[in-house]
Amino acid sequence: MSEIAHQDHIEKKAFLVNSSSLKDVRVFCREVFEKLHIQEDLKDELVLAIAEAAQNIVKHAFKNSASPTELMVVQISCENNKLQIAFYDRGTPVDPKKVKHREIDNVKPGGLGTFFIQEIMDAVEFKDGKKPWINHLVLTKQL
Amino acid sequence: MSYKVTEEGNISTVHLDGEIDMDVTEKAKEVIFPVIDSGKEVHLNLSQVQYMDSSGISVLIESHQRALEKNTKVIIKDVSKSVLKVIMMAKLEQILNLE
Repeated sequence: MSEIAHQDHIEKKAFLVNSSSLKDVRVFCREVFEKLHIQEDLKDELVLAIAEAAQNIVKHAFKNSASPTELMVVQISCENNKLQIAFYDRGTPVDPKKVKHREIDNVKPGGLGTFFIQEIMDAVEFKDGKKPWINHLVLTKQL
Repeated sequence: MSYKVTEEGNISTVHLDGEIDMDVTEKAKEVIFPVIDSGKEVHLNLSQVQYMDSSGISVLIESHQRALEKNTKVIIKDVSKSVLKVIMMAKLEQILNLE
């Protein structure tokens, strides 16, 4: 847990649902974390977790075939030193019970994104997506 | 992502530059796999790669496994601190050949 008191802050941005947007998601996160004065190592981890969650939307919720105008929204908020990252998308509804990473000792390509997210964040929660959204993922981390 | 391939004796070195994510994994494979298939020892120089996600890690695993099938090896060189952290998070530092 950080000894720095981070200023309360909230910011959100919409991105096209495609793999080219992942870089933009990372840039957005880094800019927000700069404003929050989050230390470098933790910032790298958080950016990875957020980018993995965004990648899951592109790859799994939309199976790499979202319409060219389809959007996903990433919202980063910090309140009382608790960081919350919310994702909103209109892809295939996610069944949280089916979201699992591969066995880490069973070395093979794939299945690591969810593992990274769980390793880095304190909590991963799928909430009901309110219209017009279908999926609403919330990642939290105490700073 | 940009890349450069150099050859010296029986060693081919692939220098990758940039961020390795899902958007560039196919391009990375197109560069790395033919070099592995040539049967030479492959050095993957990652000194200019400052970010790698799970898709990039998958490319490293696939490259390692492909090299084993071809009776050669992939050695990952000069890994940046940030990428090493991701490799270690995936518990692959003992599986992949890191130098």
